[in-house]
Amino acid sequence: MINQNKKFILIILTSILLSLIYLYSNYYKVNSKAYITNQGDNTVSVVDLINLEVIKTIKVGIAPLGITILNKKNLGFIGNVGTDDISVIDTRTDQIIKTIKLNTAPLSLTSSPDESKVYITDWFKNNVLVISVEEMKVIDSFKVGKTPSGIAFNKKYNYLIVTNRDSNSVEVYNKNTKLIKKLATGNHPFGVYTKGKYAYTANVYDDTVTVINLEDWSTKDIKVGAHPYNILTHQNLALVTNAVDDSLSIIDLKIGKEIKKINTGETPENLDIHQKLNLLIVTNWGSDSISIYDLENLKLIKEIKTGAQSRSFGNFILQ
Amino acid sequence: MRKFIFALLTLLFSMSIFAHGPTPQKVQESITVNVSVEKAWALVKDFSSIDKWHPAVKDIKIEKRGEDTYRILSLESGGTLEEKFRSTDDDLKKIKWEITKGKVPFTDFNAYIIVSKGANANESIIQWTARFYRTYKLNPPIPEGQDDATAKAAGQVIVDNGLAGLKKTLESK
Repeated sequence: MINQNKKFILIILTSILLSLIYLYSNYYKVNSKAYITNQGDNTVSVVDLINLEVIKTIKVGIAPLGITILNKKNLGFIGNVGTDDISVIDTRTDQIIKTIKLNTAPLSLTSSPDESKVYITDWFKNNVLVISVEEMKVIDSFKVGKTPSGIAFNKKYNYLIVTNRDSNSVEVYNKNTKLIKKLATGNHPFGVYTKGKYAYTANVYDDTVTVINLEDWSTKDIKVGAHPYNILTHQNLALVTNAVDDSLSIIDLKIGKEIKKINTGETPENLDIHQKLNLLIVTNWGSDSISIYDLENLKLIKEIKTGAQSRSFGNFILQ
Repeated sequence: MRKFIFALLTLLFSMSIFAHGPTPQKVQESITVNVSVEKAWALVKDFSSIDKWHPAVKDIKIEKRGEDTYRILSLESGGTLEEKFRSTDDDLKKIKWEITKGKVPFTDFNAYIIVSKGANANESIIQWTARFYRTYKLNPPIPEGQDDATAKAAGQVIVDNGLAGLKKTLESK
């Protein structure tokens, strides 16, 4: 009798374990996707990051460029600069559930850490638009400097950080949308990234990135490859896409210098990381593809064809 | 009359839609050439030989400025174009350069050509990719001749004529 009980418990435990494993792997399957905006053919390619293949192509507005993925809410916001609107994708079904009219060109997007708001740089009218995710509409906007390009939210200080491409500056706003600092960057800053007490801008025309200390407001420029477009950091490294060099610059942040370059596809523009899968994804505008790297050793795993002029300016990985 | 106004409004509306946005223009064309990949690459990689194959180029002058190499092209249509050499890669058979000066209806023009093997040893494929923007980058309305369509058309002509010129020159040698 006792033995039979033991057997029974063992079977139960095993089946619980098996179903947990199943759920776990399934969770990763549905939550490990990259969304690639293809500006040349008005689509978004959905890439399964487990099997490394395109699983769906979604028609969006005209000339999609910017993107931000809300992981907790299972939503993707796509900025269409040709139709001046936002396509909202439900990442569970990969279908468009809403189109939000803006009447101005959305350049880049980011969200608040709680994912209640999406912030959008309005390139032509020098505003940042604020969308309520709950209401799916624009609820606020505020004036910023000229040609706002990249935008990023700093969790540590609750700062919203915006690059001004044509005035070679970066602006830092607090949570009440009040400008608290404007600093000079390198020439033509485009992408911006922030983590901890630092922000980083990629400066297209003078082949540098600017590292900004958000505590004491000191800045430092670091030389990279030709036409850097965007940047992110991983541990003590910063990774930068050099659009005209077809390469990534790898910067050691401790010494503040580029330590090597690795090859990408043609005209790499943007990049994002899947933390748990340890993947780095780079979008290649020139070869209409993405390059997938092992984040640990930065070796290329695979290049996948996506759509015409793949860009994905923003956080484009669901995880 | 009403129909005409409606058509006009539709046209204006659709134009403003397509005129919007900071979108880089892309021209990417390929041509198959009946020579070996080595022969094709030898001509393509030579930054100083474009006057031998591009029909729009009448004359060329090479200028060294410090580390950088430029070519000043005199055009058949009159006027000049200044281009800066960026790099060549013999493994990928790829050459890169950019237009730095000239009276052209586009800006930030970066280009590269890749030569690859064709179906047999005496066939190669030459692919030319160009990336550039329209000249007007501010808020619409966009002045005539400074829009995306004008930029794209001009870039397309350079690439199409260049590839045709490469084929002609390579195959007649």
